[in-house]
Amino acid sequence: MVDQYVIAAALAGVAWGALAGLFVHRWWYRKRAAAQRQTTVDAQSTALAQAEERHAAEVRQHEQQARELHALVDTLRDDLAQQSVSAEEAREALNALHLQKDEWLQQATRLSTEAGRLRHLSATFERWHEQMISLMSQNHDMHAKNNELSSIVRHVLIVSLNASIEAARAGAAGRGFSIVASEVRSLAARSQELSKSYHDSLNRNDLITTATFQDIQAGGKMIAASLASVEALAGQIQSRLEQATT
Amino acid sequence: MISQQAKDSIERIFLYSARTRLPVDSSDACDITALDAQQANTALASHIVVLTISSIAFRFLLVLHFNDDQATRDYYLRESEERSLAEALMEVGNLCCGAINQQLVEFFPDLGMSTPYQLSGACVPYLTELKPGYLAAFRVSIGANVQLGATLCICASSPVDFVAYVNEAEESTGELELF
Amino acid sequence: MAKVLVVDDSSTVRDEVAGFLRKNGLDVDTAVDGKDGLAKLKASPGIRLVVSDVNMPNMDGLTMAEKIRGELANASVNIIMLTTESSPAMKERGKAAGVKGWIVKPFKGDAVLETFRKLAS
Repeated sequence: MVDQYVIAAALAGVAWGALAGLFVHRWWYRKRAAAQRQTTVDAQSTALAQAEERHAAEVRQHEQQARELHALVDTLRDDLAQQSVSAEEAREALNALHLQKDEWLQQATRLSTEAGRLRHLSATFERWHEQMISLMSQNHDMHAKNNELSSIVRHVLIVSLNASIEAARAGAAGRGFSIVASEVRSLAARSQELSKSYHDSLNRNDLITTATFQDIQAGGKMIAASLASVEALAGQIQSRLEQATT
Repeated sequence: MISQQAKDSIERIFLYSARTRLPVDSSDACDITALDAQQANTALASHIVVLTISSIAFRFLLVLHFNDDQATRDYYLRESEERSLAEALMEVGNLCCGAINQQLVEFFPDLGMSTPYQLSGACVPYLTELKPGYLAAFRVSIGANVQLGATLCICASSPVDFVAYVNEAEESTGELELF
Repeated sequence: MAKVLVVDDSSTVRDEVAGFLRKNGLDVDTAVDGKDGLAKLKASPGIRLVVSDVNMPNMDGLTMAEKIRGELANASVNIIMLTTESSPAMKERGKAAGVKGWIVKPFKGDAVLETFRKLAS
């Protein structure tokens, strides 16, 4: 019988313990759940507040964007108005250009014709060239004549020398003649100097004449080549203007 | 008024043109030596052939000096002795100057060249009367025993400056270009 | 009857070119400048090919070419220029004048013989 009481008491103790434990557990659990619920509520409040704040910010942003869009629309409206004006001006300018194009085409045609005409300048250069040949051949003649003169003068010198010798042989009778011979000799010497100087002048003349006329001949070709380029360019402008369609 | 590099360029162009056009056969030797400044306007032989290239800014004269001797006749007249040595040298001068013209036209698009003319060597000293900005003389030995002379003369009316190097590979002569 | 006319003021060139062509069986006549060239062409209607220099006294080669097509009204003869000139402007003028081809001197006969034969037939 004692055992039964002991066991019953033990059992009861255990039961009370368990119950107490259960109550404590449940109380602690409820307290914790409440705390958790409070935390959740707090968190949700914060989240809500944040959400409201974000929402407000978005609304402000949207309002801002709306304002910007309105401003943009106004700007576009102004641009469109301006561009209509520009389009009108461009149309007028295009009409003016068409008129100008016709004018330019006429000018280009005239330019082309003129350049083509000037190419025949080469005929003038040919004339100059013929005259140069004629001048050079005259120079050549002068050289020949000068050489002949030179040889005559040399001959005169020899003759005058011989004359002096003869005059000396004739003694007193030949003195007058000797003076003449001596004068002839000095004249011949001067002629010889002149002839030599003339020879130098002819050479100088030859070189400068040749150089000048070659410059004219070469220069003429340079001009003809340049004019041919101009004519070609003018022709190109002409054909491009003719091709340009309305 | 003629820059140093322009002078050097024209000399290079001349050396190339002379080497490729003065000899009758391209395989013949061609030695060119520059003479010093004092000899720039002396006659190097008894006859000369003169050619001019004219541009807007300057004119260029090429003077080729030659003697009418057996060596020169044998070399340039080959078979036919009746031909004129002067005419042969005028054509050779024409080819040489033509080559110079072809090189210069890259830098001076408006250029014209004269036909050659024969004169006496005694005319050479008067080159100074043209008031050149550049005057240079050269001795040219061709083949075994042909002696020629060459004088380059440039008169400039406005500043001349350019740099030219001859592209030796670019020889397109003798080919027929059909239009 | 001559088929080819060689026009150049240099006897050296005339001898060289005409000599080469004759050696190769072609019948060749020569002229000393543009004026002479026109006269010879007028007198020999059988000429099929003209080989001409540009720089010549009395009348240059391009003027002669223009007159061949113009005054002489000869549109069929083939004209080839043989010259030291190589500027594009000159070649353009040649083309406009009815020139068929351009050779820059020096003359290299072997390279052009076949074409010359064809143009002269």
